[in-house]
Amino acid sequence: MTIKERGYTHWDGELQDGRFPWWPITRIGIKLTFKRRFFKFFFAFTLIPALVWLVGIYVSERLEDFKFMMEGETDFLNVNPLYFKTYFTNEFLLFMVVMILVFCGAGLIADDLRHNALQLYFARPLKKRDYLTGKAAVIFFFLFIVTLVPGIVFILFKLIFAGNLQFFFSYPWLILSVIAYSVLITTFFAFYTLLLSSIGKNRRYVAILIFGVYIFSDIFSAIFYEIFRSRYFYLLSIKSNLQQIGAVLFDQKTPWNIPWYYSLLVIVAICVFAAYVLKRKVRGVEIIK
Amino acid sequence: MTAVIQTQNLSKWYGNVLGLSDVTLEIEPGITGILGPNGAGKSTFLKLITGQIKSNIGSVSIMGQPVWNNFPQFSKIGFCPEQDSFYEEMTGWQFLTSLLRLFHLPVAEIEKKADKALDIVELTDDKHRAIRAYSRGMRQRLKVAQSIAHDPQIIILDEPLNGLDPLGRRKIIRLIKEYKGEGRTIIVSSHVLPEIEAMTNQIILIHQGKIFAQGDIHYIRDLIESHPHIISIKCSDPRQLAQKFIRHDFVLKVNFDLKKGTLLVETNNRDKFFGLLPALFVENKIEVEEITSPDDNLQAVFDYLIGK
Repeated sequence: MTIKERGYTHWDGELQDGRFPWWPITRIGIKLTFKRRFFKFFFAFTLIPALVWLVGIYVSERLEDFKFMMEGETDFLNVNPLYFKTYFTNEFLLFMVVMILVFCGAGLIADDLRHNALQLYFARPLKKRDYLTGKAAVIFFFLFIVTLVPGIVFILFKLIFAGNLQFFFSYPWLILSVIAYSVLITTFFAFYTLLLSSIGKNRRYVAILIFGVYIFSDIFSAIFYEIFRSRYFYLLSIKSNLQQIGAVLFDQKTPWNIPWYYSLLVIVAICVFAAYVLKRKVRGVEIIK
Repeated sequence: MTAVIQTQNLSKWYGNVLGLSDVTLEIEPGITGILGPNGAGKSTFLKLITGQIKSNIGSVSIMGQPVWNNFPQFSKIGFCPEQDSFYEEMTGWQFLTSLLRLFHLPVAEIEKKADKALDIVELTDDKHRAIRAYSRGMRQRLKVAQSIAHDPQIIILDEPLNGLDPLGRRKIIRLIKEYKGEGRTIIVSSHVLPEIEAMTNQIILIHQGKIFAQGDIHYIRDLIESHPHIISIKCSDPRQLAQKFIRHDFVLKVNFDLKKGTLLVETNNRDKFFGLLPALFVENKIEVEEITSPDDNLQAVFDYLIGK
């Protein structure tokens, strides 16, 4: 021991394995989000589409019992990849996802910047990578609850209600599509949210940006499309790009007649740009100008 | 005694702005004061030795091991930043336990350590109050608590007495001295000389990113003593007081500020001057309104030393 005259005793217990050094960051992020006013109510509201789709699956297996309600219009109750694609790419769900980001994501980095908390984190055994993983995991937690979890529950309940594995053997790749699309949409929105959260110290300003960029990307793409009549302007819309990729992953026709990989490129480019900005913005010391 | 912290040719730039230049020094156990005016490079130095930023040139080692990117080393260091770094909506207890979780300690140990740290800084009774309801002194003490909670061997405190009332200052100073008694290494930065003086006599003077002097505080004190000081006195009869002052050889100059109605006295021995002052007031029945020392700040001392 290099210190002489040492009169204090260190804690001599065993350190727990730090395999997930980002977990404390995620834990506090989730806790603080649930503390936000109206969030619990709002979050429950975002699960309504999942409930409706689940009821749809149940009804599809009991069409005879519900004939009086259907009046012959039962096509939409065909539980197939289109049914899943409709759930995952419907505008309402995407809108609710963005609203969840407003609640849970706006302050993720912005609050740390406002509270000068980065220097406290980085004076501890926490790497920048762990910090960002911890923050992204907060978004993964909330978005998986409205994407991945319902997707898997739909498949499980379809099998349970049907009482056989025919659905699984008809579409064995569907569970992979559900996982792939959920991971893609969540990863993209994690980068998108952390990027915007890192460029401001005010969570309200960031919340407006998260909402505004998503909405205005859609509005501007529609305006440009109307002016120039080129479908390629749909690449400006976050929603359209996600819908394009979603359609491909669920083996459906793409909504816009443009190559789907252009949309994937746009999404990947945004993620790369976000990673670059985060690398520069997230550091333990303020830059003197 | 073996040095706990060693820096070798440490330099840091922020773009074109020089943060720290060619700093080579060794810090031993005990309290070391880092003294320098605002913008001198104190915080940059502290952030370099805590491994938060990387130096452009040079190296820092703690107990013989490099600190940059050496995360196990971070457990040995407790850092108390200058600015407030709180989530206002959290309670003091939540703030402390959430930071302790980053050390991957068992939950029971986290709670024990948080309780102990809050007890040391005398915040146990307020631990379940939201931080937004804390006073300035309580916030400062909570900041100190987060830096000592994980039982570090090296404690680095950036301006820990900023904005504290005399009672709060006394509490923090007492705490720092207690930690010194346990054989730990404590580094305290400040731009106020008497604050550092109250804690230690080992100081490092830093100015414009360079180490200006390092060693015993008495050396710098002697330099300051020979530095002519101006003292401003607002009283009922400044002319009579001036008459009494000019008899003493440690008074170099007297002057009057007619607008403010004050007497300005220049002295090269502050201790003798202030020793004489009360007696002169009492003997001559002079009523005093205000005594200030316009140039009694660290910047003035540095300007004087650099000029010298």
